[in-house]
Amino acid sequence: MKKFLALILTLAMVLAACSFAVADDLPTITIMFHGSNVSDDSAVLEKVNEYIADKVGAKLEVIWGTWGDFDEKAVNVLTSGDKDVDMVFTCSWSADEYNSYAKKGYFLKLDDLIEAYGADLKAAIPESLMQAATIEGAEGKGIYAVNGFKDTATQNTWDVNVTLLNELGYTVDDLKAKGFFGWDEIFAKAKEVKGDSFYPFLVEPMVAERMVTNSIIVAGDAGSTNLLSLYLNPDDVSKDGAYGNKLLNKFATPEYKAFVDQMHKYYEAGYIDPALSVAETSNDARTNHQKDASYLIGTQSYAFGYEFSADVLARGVEVQFVPCTTPYVDTTASQGAMMAINSASEHPEESFKFLALLNSDPVLMTLMNYGVEGIHYTLNDDGLVVFNDDARATYSPWTNGMGNVTILPDTASEGAGFRKSFQEYYAGALGIPSLGFVFDNSPVENEMAALGNVAAQYALALDCGAVDPETELPAFLAALDAAGMQTYLDAANAQLDAYLAK
Amino acid sequence: MTAITPPARKKIKAGSFSLNRFSTRTQALFHVILLLFSLLCIIPFIFVIIIAFSSEDSIRQIGYSFTPISWSTDAFAYTFKLGNALWRSYLNSFLITIVGTVLSVAMTVLYAYPLYRRDYKYRKFFNFLSFFTMIFGGGLVPTYVICKSVLGLSDNYAALIVPMLFSPFNVIIMRTFLQTTVPPELIEAATIDGSGEYSTLLRIVLPVVKPGIATIALLVSLAYWNEWFLSLLYLNKNMSIMPLQYLLMRMQRNADFLAKNSSMLGADASKAAAQLPSQSLKMALVVFIVIPIACAYPFFQRYVIAGLTIGSVKG
Repeated sequence: MKKFLALILTLAMVLAACSFAVADDLPTITIMFHGSNVSDDSAVLEKVNEYIADKVGAKLEVIWGTWGDFDEKAVNVLTSGDKDVDMVFTCSWSADEYNSYAKKGYFLKLDDLIEAYGADLKAAIPESLMQAATIEGAEGKGIYAVNGFKDTATQNTWDVNVTLLNELGYTVDDLKAKGFFGWDEIFAKAKEVKGDSFYPFLVEPMVAERMVTNSIIVAGDAGSTNLLSLYLNPDDVSKDGAYGNKLLNKFATPEYKAFVDQMHKYYEAGYIDPALSVAETSNDARTNHQKDASYLIGTQSYAFGYEFSADVLARGVEVQFVPCTTPYVDTTASQGAMMAINSASEHPEESFKFLALLNSDPVLMTLMNYGVEGIHYTLNDDGLVVFNDDARATYSPWTNGMGNVTILPDTASEGAGFRKSFQEYYAGALGIPSLGFVFDNSPVENEMAALGNVAAQYALALDCGAVDPETELPAFLAALDAAGMQTYLDAANAQLDAYLAK
Repeated sequence: MTAITPPARKKIKAGSFSLNRFSTRTQALFHVILLLFSLLCIIPFIFVIIIAFSSEDSIRQIGYSFTPISWSTDAFAYTFKLGNALWRSYLNSFLITIVGTVLSVAMTVLYAYPLYRRDYKYRKFFNFLSFFTMIFGGGLVPTYVICKSVLGLSDNYAALIVPMLFSPFNVIIMRTFLQTTVPPELIEAATIDGSGEYSTLLRIVLPVVKPGIATIALLVSLAYWNEWFLSLLYLNKNMSIMPLQYLLMRMQRNADFLAKNSSMLGADASKAAAQLPSQSLKMALVVFIVIPIACAYPFFQRYVIAGLTIGSVKG
């Protein structure tokens, strides 16, 4: 018997023996990224640690958060004050939402550190991005995260299968001239030529709605189904739109009514795949149609250079992205990917030095993002990056989630000069009049949850045209009113007015 | 019931009548019902296997179907290409399940046995101590803090085993099982015959409660085999110890997240979605996950059924 007990005890002790400490004089700093697809980082970290030993005075460890994991992990780490994680990804749409987490004191205020060690960082990142990160946090107004320089402006485009369009006897100019409300004829032709099971209009319903009505995402609004609309001026995004700087119930405007009426016509005529109107299948269906190029016109929230990305090239047809407006900078886009320092971190200085270096030093950024030369990529004769697909399959972080991507070298598929044009493209983007405004939804949390549920029930099917707006839209609006839409709207508008008055 | 009141016109052959016998018609009915029920259970799994062998084109064109346009073994070929990552996580799943089940069953029995003994003085207190945690949990964040900072459960196998070792629910099942199958007289008899406490537990009580132990072992091993949330919480850097369930769950959660946030992420979401593993690959992994547990089931089942029919006191 005693042997048996002893065996159990020994087993338990072996299991409980926790991670062995590595004796080393340099402190270890840990960074947590979002959206990674990394299974082997050993080669990269070895090089990185060699490179940063003197410059940062620390050893780096990385937690490669994935799309599905990050939110849960980040919230746990930050709310539990876990000092083992020093730097954490944050932005306007992740669960550790930048503005609210900074307000709750989970992120360190960086102003002093920027003053002390941030000269290179300030030179590398445009002033406007620093401004976008300046918010009212737990320790007063200041910068609570290093804002990555990426595709910092939003631009929605029609994703056009030009090969098919020309086959049908139309050009991109025809599309533009007819506009969203006049594509019946083209869709009918496509259906006639390609057969009855072909769906020419491949929409991401929520995006299509914003494109047609020229409304934008309001930072701080209910997550996956937005409730508020702020209308842009499509001709000049920096000027006020049709309704001025006023937030409206997205679903109660004439613009929305016109949009859903038209979508319903297209849906009834069989131009839209029914799978797109169901939340569970919508994204898969869209990805599949894109892969097969089995669509004529689609919607795409665009980033400069997207036409050169592997998944667009793999469609095997000529694709053109036709913009609805010029790119505009709104709060959501300008806080799209940032790196904050955990306020529980024991190595804030080393962490900041690392972030500053990552955002200003091309060598480090390339190493972290593209991997090691000779293993993950090689340079071709023109000095462009050619990825080694096998090694890259075990090491592909989310490029835009890391920081300043404008200092990355050009890849062969993007072509020489790509990053420079990228930088110019976004540097020239205009800000919307209410740039910087974030709706603090904490006073109306309950309403938001209730409204979100109502919207999840109706919005997608309406936006996709799958249900009749004559009956469903009034029912939807009544349900929203019952769930407290007016309270929500008033709170948002009061905050916006106060923000603009400053 | 039907056997007792057979239709009057039916002739009963001598010797074929028995109280415990069902009429042929009832038997046929039961067979049909049970057949339908087993079909309901097995069809989804057959469907999963069919999808795993469907070609990606077929899934893209007609969705999931029992009769795909074309077949392919690409998904399985790809799982073998995943190589180390797959087999390692498969081994991890086995290791975690086996070690976890053995330890957890040992703990459950050792905790439940004193609670069953009426002569144990602090019975009520320990009963309450375990029962209390069933009603009031600490919540996610405090649990995480205790496990990670106090117990050091982070990036090691212990993190995937220790948090689930003790389940008050299983202790209650075990205690009740002891109470109903082991009469106190049996313990008394053993004590009078000179058996010490350990020997009473091991030689007298345990053989009697084998079916109960098998039930607990089944519950616990299923829980360990299907567990992925602990990996999400406690595995950060050392991904080589991740179990298969988590590998699968991660693919699923990535796809869900991208679907939900595609409008926020824009082009990045489209790029990431294009890299996601195919539907047939996911189903191939499901096949990998289901097979071992389906094979283990019959062994446990023998004991579970035995538990219904035997006991230490007949009658």
